[in-house]
Amino acid sequence: MSDEQPLAVQVQGMHFGYDGRTPVFQGLDLAVARGVSYGLLGPNGAGKTTLLRLVAGRLKPSRGSVLVLGHTPHPSLTRDIGLMPQSSAVYPELTARENVDFFARMYGMSRRGERRERVEEVLRFVELEERQNTHVSRLSGGMRQRVSLACALVHRPPLLLLDEPTVGLDPELRASFWEHFRSMAGEGTTLLISSHTMDDAAHCDRLAFLRSGRVVAEGSPETLRRATGRPDASLEDAFLHFARQEAGDVSR
Amino acid sequence: MSLDRTLAIAQRLVRQIRRDRRTMALMVVAPVVVLTLIGLSFAERSQVLDFIAPAVLATFSLLFVFLLTGIGFLRERASGTLDRLLATPVGRFDLLVGYLLGFLGFAALQALIILLYTVYVLNVTFRGNLWEVILFLLVLTATSVNLGIFVSTFAHNEFQVMQFIPLLLAPQIFLSGIFLRVGEMPGYLQAIATVLPLRYAVDGLRALMLEGAHLPDVARELAILVGIGVVVLGLASLTVRRV
Repeated sequence: MSDEQPLAVQVQGMHFGYDGRTPVFQGLDLAVARGVSYGLLGPNGAGKTTLLRLVAGRLKPSRGSVLVLGHTPHPSLTRDIGLMPQSSAVYPELTARENVDFFARMYGMSRRGERRERVEEVLRFVELEERQNTHVSRLSGGMRQRVSLACALVHRPPLLLLDEPTVGLDPELRASFWEHFRSMAGEGTTLLISSHTMDDAAHCDRLAFLRSGRVVAEGSPETLRRATGRPDASLEDAFLHFARQEAGDVSR
Repeated sequence: MSLDRTLAIAQRLVRQIRRDRRTMALMVVAPVVVLTLIGLSFAERSQVLDFIAPAVLATFSLLFVFLLTGIGFLRERASGTLDRLLATPVGRFDLLVGYLLGFLGFAALQALIILLYTVYVLNVTFRGNLWEVILFLLVLTATSVNLGIFVSTFAHNEFQVMQFIPLLLAPQIFLSGIFLRVGEMPGYLQAIATVLPLRYAVDGLRALMLEGAHLPDVARELAILVGIGVVVLGLASLTVRRV
């Protein structure tokens, strides 16, 4: 990968608040390199979903900047972004295949033959080939999540935003999701993943610990673990360590 | 705007509704039951029936599509699919026109059933041309689709959409000259009636169905309906925000 390529996501001095009041971010900085799986870790209400929505261009910062692949979010940039929202957000009356095909068309894949091939490829990737003609309403929660993932990546976006993608999945399925994510990152796709479980965190190349709209620590899982000063520290320990440190800083 | 996206949205809606068999059945059964009751209650007074039949047709077209779009769009907002759609390159007019096309077919089908039932079973006086009436109803439907999308912004759940029905439809039903001619109402109510789409729909349909008028004769009503539709489309498009 060339060094001149702009970062996948670059957030600088970003301010945002819903209704212009209740501030969520007050001067957030974040840099996500290309081709990595980057985890946004934090408790509920930390601002993870809001940050993903800002990156997806669904929200606009009130101050500062959010650059995605070197550009300010714009409708035409959405072609390069895949978004998997927290709720599965697919159509229950349609089959798995119809859902994926529909979103492929929304992303501008208007040529039928090419689209059919890609839809099949994606359904194979998420292991839903055999259930592709089943209505989503009759699929299990985990399968629905896979349909949702397929809809987000059908247009081969270089940047994939995944909002709590493994929530509610059993351990086996979670492992298989991570296999998918790693294989995508291996092919150069940047993954920005929000989660509140440390199990997910351990799979990421890099992590940002988010708390009340602030990045309290950033680095590889290993660096963050070591920074606690305890050799046996888990990521959860690391998170608590940084959260307490930050709370101390703020109250001082 | 992209034709493929618009068509994909319309096709998706058609699929979703077609697979909901009960909705499909109710779409036909509900108006037929209501019309039968109306027909029976006015069996001895065919003149009154003639007077209200075009209004019933217009009201049903408006109500049905308003409900479908209002709830359809609400679900789209609530389930997160709208958010997901707006994170794709889809334009708001792709979305609005897609919805319009998707519901138009069902609305036309329902209008045709009501019309045929009214004319051939209830034997209401009909001096018009079937296709002109259908075409007129389609314009009304278009207005209603936009109204449904617009209203869905203010409703956060199905209960609230239901509350909007009496609020939006009752004034139209009582002030649009269905029971009492607009000219016989107090001045301030007549003023309100000038912005109600149903009023123009009723006037136009009465002329088309009872007086044997043709589309050019109701050009004024059509133009006003299109005008209201465009205004509501503008308002609806403002509620489908990208950022």
